[in-house]
Amino acid sequence: MLSRSKGLNKRFRPADIFLLVFLLSMSVSGIFFIKEVMPKSTNVIIEVDGKQRYSLPLGTDSVTEVKGPEGPTIVEVKNGKVRVTESECPGKICVKQGWVDRGAIICIPNRIIVRLDAEYSDKELDAVTE
Amino acid sequence: MPSQNNLRIALLAAYAIALHAFEKLIPTPLPWMRFGLANIITLTALVLYGFRAGMMITVIRVTVGSFLTGTFLGPAFLLSFGAGVVSTSAMALTVRYLPRLFGTVGISIIGALFHNLTQLMIAYLVFIKRIEVVIILSPVLILIGTVTGTLNGLVSSMLIDGIKESAAETDGAVTAE
Repeated sequence: MLSRSKGLNKRFRPADIFLLVFLLSMSVSGIFFIKEVMPKSTNVIIEVDGKQRYSLPLGTDSVTEVKGPEGPTIVEVKNGKVRVTESECPGKICVKQGWVDRGAIICIPNRIIVRLDAEYSDKELDAVTE
Repeated sequence: MPSQNNLRIALLAAYAIALHAFEKLIPTPLPWMRFGLANIITLTALVLYGFRAGMMITVIRVTVGSFLTGTFLGPAFLLSFGAGVVSTSAMALTVRYLPRLFGTVGISIIGALFHNLTQLMIAYLVFIKRIEVVIILSPVLILIGTVTGTLNGLVSSMLIDGIKESAAETDGAVTAE
């Protein structure tokens, strides 16, 4: 069963160090690479009760009043960012979240989701050479 | 001899379940992030007692652990069962075919890597079905897995030495430890 003759086991072997360094560098560079390549959002999607109500361009400044079950929620788009300025909900977490340029603002009491739609950069090419 | 082996498997599986339950209490920055402490036991069993012992412990740990958390046959169970079996197999294959190349820490990292890759694959095929989510998550998971895998491997390696020493002292007799 236990081979006593073998003695203590090897904790680190050269291949272990290689594997460790390789995986660490690959994953860290992978995280940075993905951050660079990640699509920039171009649209603000507003969903009420799971249904999409609005799709606003992020490039154009706007103020939109969205009707939720609890009352109106006001969504402001400015300088490529979005925020909720007013909302008829108890916690006002959506308002406190402030300006957002990625991810989403979710107001659970008023059943409103304001999210930034991701579009891949290859769909918005500046020019194509042939 | 077989009864001795079953005793060891039962004991180690109990340790693995305890660690599995314990690590759920540790708060982590990401809710789905786990240290995989139970892998310390699986790896130790794999190195000392072979593939059958390691695999039995993984299967017992995942199944009994899911009874404790009430996730038996649920999505979380599917993820940990698949990943547990694949990562134990990957570690067993490394122990068997590349014993001189990788040390205990290396085997642990391989286990962690296969664990994460399998979870990503199952999650993609069964739940998310969106490849961009998998691509974004994979480097983060591999980074965390490599760090925790290294730490678990070090602990496991110390444990293996400790068990070997105590076995040598008691001349191979089975002790409570």
